[in-house]
Amino acid sequence: MIACEQIEKRFPGPGGGVTALSDVTLTVDRGEFVVVKGPSGCGKSTLLLAMGGMQRPSAGRVTLDGVDLYAQSANERNRVRAERIGFVFQLFHLLPFLTVRENVLAGLPPGSRIGDHVAHANELIEQLGLGERASHRPGTLSAGERQRVALARALVKHPALILADEPTGNLDPANAAEVFRHLATFQRAGGTVVVVTHGDDAARYATRTVCLSRGRLVPASSDSANPPRSPSTSSLAAS
Amino acid sequence: MNVLGLILRELRHHWVNSLLVTVGLVIAVALLVAVRMTTAAAERETRRVMRDLGFNLRIIPKSTDMDHFWSHGISDQTMPEEAVQRLAAQHGVFLSFNHLTPALEGRIEIAGRPALLTGIGDTIVDSKEGKQPMGFRIKPGQVFLGRAIADRLEAKRGGTIQLGGREFTVERILGESGTDEDVRIYGALPDVQTVLGQPGRINEIKAIDCLCLTADQDPLGQLRAVIEEVLPEARVLQLTAMADARARQRQMAERYARFAVPLVLLVGAGWLVLLTWLNVRERRPEIGLWRALGHGSGRIAGLLLGKAVLLGVLGALAGYALGTWIALAAGPDIFQVTAKGLRAEPALLAWAVLLTPAFAAVASLLPSMMAVAQEPAQTLRAD
Repeated sequence: MIACEQIEKRFPGPGGGVTALSDVTLTVDRGEFVVVKGPSGCGKSTLLLAMGGMQRPSAGRVTLDGVDLYAQSANERNRVRAERIGFVFQLFHLLPFLTVRENVLAGLPPGSRIGDHVAHANELIEQLGLGERASHRPGTLSAGERQRVALARALVKHPALILADEPTGNLDPANAAEVFRHLATFQRAGGTVVVVTHGDDAARYATRTVCLSRGRLVPASSDSANPPRSPSTSSLAAS
Repeated sequence: MNVLGLILRELRHHWVNSLLVTVGLVIAVALLVAVRMTTAAAERETRRVMRDLGFNLRIIPKSTDMDHFWSHGISDQTMPEEAVQRLAAQHGVFLSFNHLTPALEGRIEIAGRPALLTGIGDTIVDSKEGKQPMGFRIKPGQVFLGRAIADRLEAKRGGTIQLGGREFTVERILGESGTDEDVRIYGALPDVQTVLGQPGRINEIKAIDCLCLTADQDPLGQLRAVIEEVLPEARVLQLTAMADARARQRQMAERYARFAVPLVLLVGAGWLVLLTWLNVRERRPEIGLWRALGHGSGRIAGLLLGKAVLLGVLGALAGYALGTWIALAAGPDIFQVTAKGLRAEPALLAWAVLLTPAFAAVASLLPSMMAVAQEPAQTLRAD
């Protein structure tokens, strides 16, 4: 489905800059639910953005169904993202001036006939427990509700792949579990999911977990991939 | 949702920024409109006030005895009346002269006392500028009397006087001037030529210079060069103090406009660029999201520039209305002579509606292009 081949990402800066990813090779097959686990700053988000065609690696290739994403033009990558990839972000990234329904419909590829997709959007909104909030603005929603709106926005275009960046980072355990359940439902229906997270609770939904430390993939048992938890992380994991 | 719908929603959501941008545009447009209207009024007022000061150029026969001229105020020589037509017909003459008025002046005695008799011909103005001829227009058989002459003759408006054996109707009695105007009789040029026995002759062409140059720019030298070429039998005298005052007044009005308009434009542009930059910066996560959702640079730039254009149109309409109101409300107190000339200028509205959105779009272009040129991940992570 999607493969990273020896990708590397360096950010310029003082003292030679920062190497966020180094020699990362990861293949995710269709129908997998892969969790990339690692501490903050280990390069998880950079990896996810590179997989989504949003950040060109300094070296290596990212292929989607065998096609090198970064060999394509920016417009072609836009089209791939618009039609095949759904994103879910830790900070939700909802448009504050649109209602819940409009935010969900904003996830459709550019040029889509909105009228053809309203029923599906409403169905998703109901499934995610947002039926009564469909006409509300994001500013009036709880964090859990906002993340469910973001999830509906990712799902509305029937994507092949969902890339989720710390999707439960701002949620309480109950809401976090609900988001993972919905992602798992999508995966069981044939979709592919890649979640990057520093927490442990995604693992129970995953078909595979890989660990990232200091920009490199490491064996899951590596201590460096499981640093001492902060109190908040510990309580989340324990719940 | 289409681009316009998104723009309108975003405008409402970021209403403070939208309001500040609109206010900035309204102020800039209002100032420009008010400055333009009042500058036009100031130029009109200057022209009118300066015109009321009278002619400032005297073109007399070159053979004039200047000692006689300065001691009597009248040339003792004449030139053919067609000289004024020749001067007016010269290409480019109206760049240096205007309101060309042929005149014949002489000394006469009336009621046993000396008087001045001046015949005024038809004034020739630059037809392209559509200016009204200045000075008196006197019909044949009529005269205008200076105050002292009228008192001496006990003449009244509508009465008659005798000149050279002919009867003339007193059309107007001039106010006391404190100059030799008080002992002057004005008549139509052909009548005065007959009375003085100089048919077809004049001894002066009165004119106004172009008001373009001040004394330090040697306007007289330039005027003399023109006369030398067109009327070699004439010489030009300039009432320098009056001409200099005209030129300085005119130049002041032009300099004011040259200073005020770019200043308003500069401040308006700076304000707009700052607010647009802040708005684009605030919207970087939104821009990043649109990129993540697969929207291209064109659509995102359309969202940003479309907002600028929309606010530009609003700012142009409101700014034109405000600027016009300011000019119409304050103008009459400032420009008392030409107050009635102050009126709304629809052409300014058309310019404002065309240029303000374009101006706003150009000011938004750089921050917008910078935002869409970045990698999607960069804008997405901007929060």
